[in-house]
Amino acid sequence: MLELRSLSRHFGGVRAVDGLDLVVEQGQIFGLIGPNGSGKSTTVNVITGLFAPTAGTILFRGRDIGALPTHRRLREGIARTFQNIRLFGQLSVWQNLWVAQNSAADQARQGFFARWLGGQSGAREEIARLLEFSGLAHKENELAANLAFGEQRRLELARALAARPQLLLLDEPAAGMNSEEIGQLRGRILKLRGSGVTILLVEHVMELVMGVTDRIAVLNFGQKIAEGTPAEIQADPAVRKAYLGGGAA
Amino acid sequence: MDFYFGLAQLIGVHTLLGLSAYIVLLTGQVTLAQAGFFAVGAYTAGMLTVLAGWHLVPALGVSAMSGAAVACAVGFPALRVKGLMLVIATLAFGEGVRLFFFNFDYQIAKGGIKVGPLGGEGFRQIRFFPENGWETWDVMLFIWVFVVAAMALLWWFDRSRYGTVLRAVGEDELAAQSVGINLTAVKVSAMTVGGAIAGVGGGLYAHYTTHIEHASFSILLATFAIAYPIVGGLRSVFGTLLAVIFVQGFLVEGLRFLGDWRNLLFGALIVLAMNLRPSGILGRRRHA
Amino acid sequence: MLDFFQTLSDGVLFGATYALIGIGFTLVFGVMHKINMAYAAASVGGAYAGLLVLKVLAGAPAWLVFLGAFVAGGLLGWMVYVTCFHFIPLSSPLATLMSTVGMLLLIDEVIVHVTAGMPQGYPAMFGDVMLFMGDFSMRGDLLLVFGVSVLAMIALLALLYRSRLGLATRAVAQQPVAAQLCGIRLVRVNALTFVVTGLLGGLAGALIGASVGTLSPLLTVPLTVKGLIVTVIGGLGSIPGAIIAGLLVGGFENVLQLYRGVTERDLYVMLLLFAFLVFRPGGIFAAKGGRD
Repeated sequence: MLELRSLSRHFGGVRAVDGLDLVVEQGQIFGLIGPNGSGKSTTVNVITGLFAPTAGTILFRGRDIGALPTHRRLREGIARTFQNIRLFGQLSVWQNLWVAQNSAADQARQGFFARWLGGQSGAREEIARLLEFSGLAHKENELAANLAFGEQRRLELARALAARPQLLLLDEPAAGMNSEEIGQLRGRILKLRGSGVTILLVEHVMELVMGVTDRIAVLNFGQKIAEGTPAEIQADPAVRKAYLGGGAA
Repeated sequence: MDFYFGLAQLIGVHTLLGLSAYIVLLTGQVTLAQAGFFAVGAYTAGMLTVLAGWHLVPALGVSAMSGAAVACAVGFPALRVKGLMLVIATLAFGEGVRLFFFNFDYQIAKGGIKVGPLGGEGFRQIRFFPENGWETWDVMLFIWVFVVAAMALLWWFDRSRYGTVLRAVGEDELAAQSVGINLTAVKVSAMTVGGAIAGVGGGLYAHYTTHIEHASFSILLATFAIAYPIVGGLRSVFGTLLAVIFVQGFLVEGLRFLGDWRNLLFGALIVLAMNLRPSGILGRRRHA
Repeated sequence: MLDFFQTLSDGVLFGATYALIGIGFTLVFGVMHKINMAYAAASVGGAYAGLLVLKVLAGAPAWLVFLGAFVAGGLLGWMVYVTCFHFIPLSSPLATLMSTVGMLLLIDEVIVHVTAGMPQGYPAMFGDVMLFMGDFSMRGDLLLVFGVSVLAMIALLALLYRSRLGLATRAVAQQPVAAQLCGIRLVRVNALTFVVTGLLGGLAGALIGASVGTLSPLLTVPLTVKGLIVTVIGGLGSIPGAIIAGLLVGGFENVLQLYRGVTERDLYVMLLLFAFLVFRPGGIFAAKGGRD
């Protein structure tokens, strides 16, 4: 599904991502972890096109997408959530999802005129499903800025799903959550895998990562220092040293 | 009574100008170019009715298209860059248009006299309305048909996905890109629609004042254009209408007794208004 | 050919004033990430205020008038800061922009009122001095304009790179929140930025008046546009960029005036701006960055 070959992104002298090789298979839940500043978010930003790579290639479903602008990558099937939630605060929950329906499938479903100039009725079903999934149906008309933090996170995820992605990049979705919320998030992620979405999970919160991923890669200073199953990673001394501090997780 | 019709005409035309800026402002772009598109529409319509003998309605159609075309052409390079650059680019464009018409001569002889734009002297004798027996009342209604149409169009946009996407772009361009919105297409389209509306406004303006010149399309007019939606708030088109009524009806007319000092007051009032109410008269939304 | 070089050189010398105006715009942008639309108007206002020196002291030397403009510019700069930036929350960029536009209109109108719309003569120094190198000549007053501008730029750069205030200013430009956490008083830095750019602006206004010979309120808007063009071409936030762009625009403009006349000249300067916007939107000193 996704392949990064010798991907690098430098900012002047800082090598945020340095020669990264990564392969994410279809249907996997792949975790990307590492200490702060290890290049996780930068990797996501390069994959989605917000930064151009300094070197290396990005292959999505076998195609080199390096030259595509961000909005085109979305249409190819890559969606993301943001670490610092970036909702459209002055739009309602419903509207946040509505403007995100930009996938190729949605473009085919309705004619140009209907899609852009039609009212809210055209998209009701699909958006209702997303709201149901995220537990936000009762807040449909609330301004996104007025939602509680947990609800905002759920909306952020729902909005990424509105684009019918094949690859979903989650950038630290569990930040600031308590155990119960993390459990719910885990449930939702597993349900998503069930519907065929491939997921790249960038995360700090081990509780979530270890419990939901098939495979994990560990970054440090922009380079991959380890890759394997959660059990392998937990046992890896190099990882322990760089990240877990040589002690219990 | 004629005086009030005249005022209503002015308010109508300025509302069109304000609406043309409103749609661009929704996308978060500040444009000082609307007066330029207004000018293009004014000269286009004037030339078509005076020099080519067209009826006003098709002439206004061409005004809309020329305003739109110029807006699209300006939008493409200008909207690729960050917001503040757009302010500069549009300011320069507006001044450029004014300079262009300052140098623009195109006169032909009609019925023994020369008519048409004459550089710094401007374009006189745009007499479609008087020549066809339109009363002040008729002109006023005619103008307001267009104002209502423009407001209806923008109100429709506001309720449609397009308008919501415009506002999303205005909120957060990064997020908008990431959910698949083509920023350039959206911003240029808004600019183009704004250009069309400004073009129509300009065409109507040329005909009800019967005399236009480069100085009418100055930075002051460009400032009014964005002042209306900013002061009125971007919540709805009605804010812009209210702002025009407030500024032109109340301030301009009400302060007429101040004579020359009026212009002085505009600047001061804008500064004051922005300090007291940075989000505009109708302000930001609190509830959907 | 000689004409070309002559015109080019005159233009570049005069362009130093555009550079000063460009620096003023770009510095405020660099520190506050806002454009002060009233800047050029305030500069012209400062120049006019310099003329008050002549009212008080008839027959005063030109340099005193320049000094008056310099000081007045600083005061006006501070005034613009207080009325347009101090009270308006920085989260309302539209509001500060509109506010500075309001100030631009206000200053314009005040000038028109006070002078009854009549252009005012401006004193020059070395107005009748000419340096000759064969057929090629350089006007003394333009050389002075250039010289003074260069001195002002050097002084500014010294201030920015060698003084504590300059350090604080650069810190604020890069990381306003962190700067505050280090104890830098944001308000003080912002206000002083406006004062310093105001001083430069007043001086630039006086120098323009001196080279052209008269001051007129019609100067404000074209100067605003030109100043902004210089800022954009040089790269928003880049002082060296503004300097080079100012000289470039000055030379370009004058050469075009030679070949195409005064009226078309300004249109070509606009075209230069659009060319840069299309091909090199970051300006001469384009910052390397991401794709957004």
